Amino acid sequence: MQESGPGWCWNEGHTVKRDRIGYVFIFPYAFHFLLFLAFPLFFSFVLIFHRWDILSPMEWVGLNNFVKLFQDSLFFKSLLNTLVFLVIHIPLQIVVALFIAEMLNQQIRFRGVFRATFFLPVVVSGVVVSMLWSQLYAQDTGLLNSLLTSMGLGRVNWITSARMAMPSVAIVATWKNVGLYIVLFLVGLQSVPKSLYEAADIEGATHWRKFIHITLPMINPTMFMVVVLSTIGGFSLFIEPVIITGGGPMNSTLSAMLYIYKQGFNFYHMGYAATMGFFFAAIVLLVVILQRKVVEKDVTY
Amino acid sequence: MMLILGCRSSRSNTESVRLVYWSSNNQDEIDLARQVVDRWNRLHPDIPVHHQPVPEGESSEEVILAAVVGKTTPDIYSNMWPGDVASYVRAKQLVCLDTFFDYDSVALDRYSEDMLNQARSPDGHTHQILWKTNPIMLIYNKRMFREVGFDDPPRTHSEYLMAAEKMTRDIDGDGYVDQWVGVTDIRARWRDRLFDFYPLYIAASGGRTLIDSGEITFDNEIAVGIFRFFQAIYENGYFPREITTVRRDFFLHETAGSRITGPWEIAHTEKFKPEGFEYDFSPVPVPDGVQEPYYTYGDYKSIVVFKNTKYPREAWEFVQFMISEENDLKLLKIATQLPVRGDVLENPLFRSYFDNNPKMVAFARQAAYVRGIDSSPTLKEVFDAISQEFEACVVYGAKSPEEAVRDAGKRARLVLE
Repeated sequence: MQESGPGWCWNEGHTVKRDRIGYVFIFPYAFHFLLFLAFPLFFSFVLIFHRWDILSPMEWVGLNNFVKLFQDSLFFKSLLNTLVFLVIHIPLQIVVALFIAEMLNQQIRFRGVFRATFFLPVVVSGVVVSMLWSQLYAQDTGLLNSLLTSMGLGRVNWITSARMAMPSVAIVATWKNVGLYIVLFLVGLQSVPKSLYEAADIEGATHWRKFIHITLPMINPTMFMVVVLSTIGGFSLFIEPVIITGGGPMNSTLSAMLYIYKQGFNFYHMGYAATMGFFFAAIVLLVVILQRKVVEKDVTY
Repeated sequence: MMLILGCRSSRSNTESVRLVYWSSNNQDEIDLARQVVDRWNRLHPDIPVHHQPVPEGESSEEVILAAVVGKTTPDIYSNMWPGDVASYVRAKQLVCLDTFFDYDSVALDRYSEDMLNQARSPDGHTHQILWKTNPIMLIYNKRMFREVGFDDPPRTHSEYLMAAEKMTRDIDGDGYVDQWVGVTDIRARWRDRLFDFYPLYIAASGGRTLIDSGEITFDNEIAVGIFRFFQAIYENGYFPREITTVRRDFFLHETAGSRITGPWEIAHTEKFKPEGFEYDFSPVPVPDGVQEPYYTYGDYKSIVVFKNTKYPREAWEFVQFMISEENDLKLLKIATQLPVRGDVLENPLFRSYFDNNPKMVAFARQAAYVRGIDSSPTLKEVFDAISQEFEACVVYGAKSPEEAVRDAGKRARLVLE
């Protein structure tokens, strides 16, 4: 009896053969997924209920790691720091990326060169970028303070003041990643029908009014994607504080990821680090779901 | 006797032995290891040793940890930080060296009973041979100190602060200080305290470390004094509030008059110093009233044999060869690092080396008065507790020295528990 529907095949032998080829194609990803994602995830879940320093055998501790987590004020400080970073980083990223994308969407000379230049930091190692910026930020010998003093302004404690350090780290993260969002916005901008601008021109609309009333509503889906991607990216803040500030001054740039890393790989509290990791992942998931609920309502496709 | 027999290899006459030895991966030590291994292989063709630098990683500690977990450790490793030994002992990963019948004579031939005790693990056995040491001292710019009236380097905290007051200046008149008495990294990473708080604490306390008989003992007046000394330095702007990594070298640019460092600084300074640059080393400053001998932190590295070796006896023979006088001389000449041996200044074999390298004499003298770190699996967290409070109190003045030391002690006790 022949079956109908999408999986229909003219005989069983052929279906098996076709399936085998399919399995061969999915094998590389399935292998990668099982080894580097599913297994570590499962293993981390097991670790939540254990104390383990890598060298000694695991010791069952039940829910003690959660008790420790809720008593650990530094973990909650690291969550707050991450939130502060997101509040600075996401709007800054969007404004800068959109502004540059708008510029690069104009008919200007060397447009390709500019596009490549702005994308360059995305492909440069985060460590290199952070080391470069830590030189620029140096209090007494850095280029930024030299520029400020040459203009008759005072020096800024870019990374040695608890108030300034996180905004400084956010600037670096923005500079490093903005190229990716410029590309996304460029795609969004180029998909806006030209006829809308032509109609607005006939009505005598200014550049600003066209941007507010045509461009922004039309790139809403891109905006949503950028917000979600930069939120997830922002939650994983790690390299910049490690290299530039080490999490200081006075833990003001200690991000949640950095704290989890420190507990896991500096002090070998693998069970506790896994517990924090799961708790943090749950927060990220919750925020992304909320974003979808709140922002998606206004997205125009 | 059973233990001795247990440590002996069970190799039959026909079985071929092959040992794998990992050295540090800095070029000088790779060169040293190659020479040592080549000579060993010529002298002992029946026990060939294969040398390999420890694979690249973020730190050699992490690479060794990964090797232990993956059961790919070498037979012998010569760059073990004594602070990590306790963890590996607890995990039963290291061969117990004092079960070899000749261990005591070999070790005591090299260093004192006191050093032997420093190398002991919490279980009472010894799993490491202290191989080399880097005593931490004060490197100072002779001209800069002479100009502020110090022909000899400052010996005490108050002398150092006096020199600091005179040396800290705005040279170019732009309204900002651009010459300081010293420099240290202000970040609160645990290891940074090995180069400011810890050597000064050991010096001020006459050689005490942080933990005694499993109890935290550093939260005392001595530590408060060290915090107060550094707080005065930062409060008055005698050190720049800088994160010093990958920045210009403040000391070689003569914008900082001193720095706390080890003997590795000699090769670096000789290579990059500007013309006419005069420098020397002295013990780290101590509080007024502390008498000689002045102790300091000795940054040790040990040789260990991993338990997965099939040939512990042969590995031990190679270790003995590594720490022979001839190879210790090579350690000095090739790697500019001090072997841990009591006779380093008296032994005629080393005399010509010190005659030709007078800057190393200060370190060799200091090497007799060094303390390592305590043997505890949670030592890094203890240092982290101190580091966090050091940053808050010393660098940013957010706490008094008394509060900071008390809080560091409190947190360190929780960690030990």
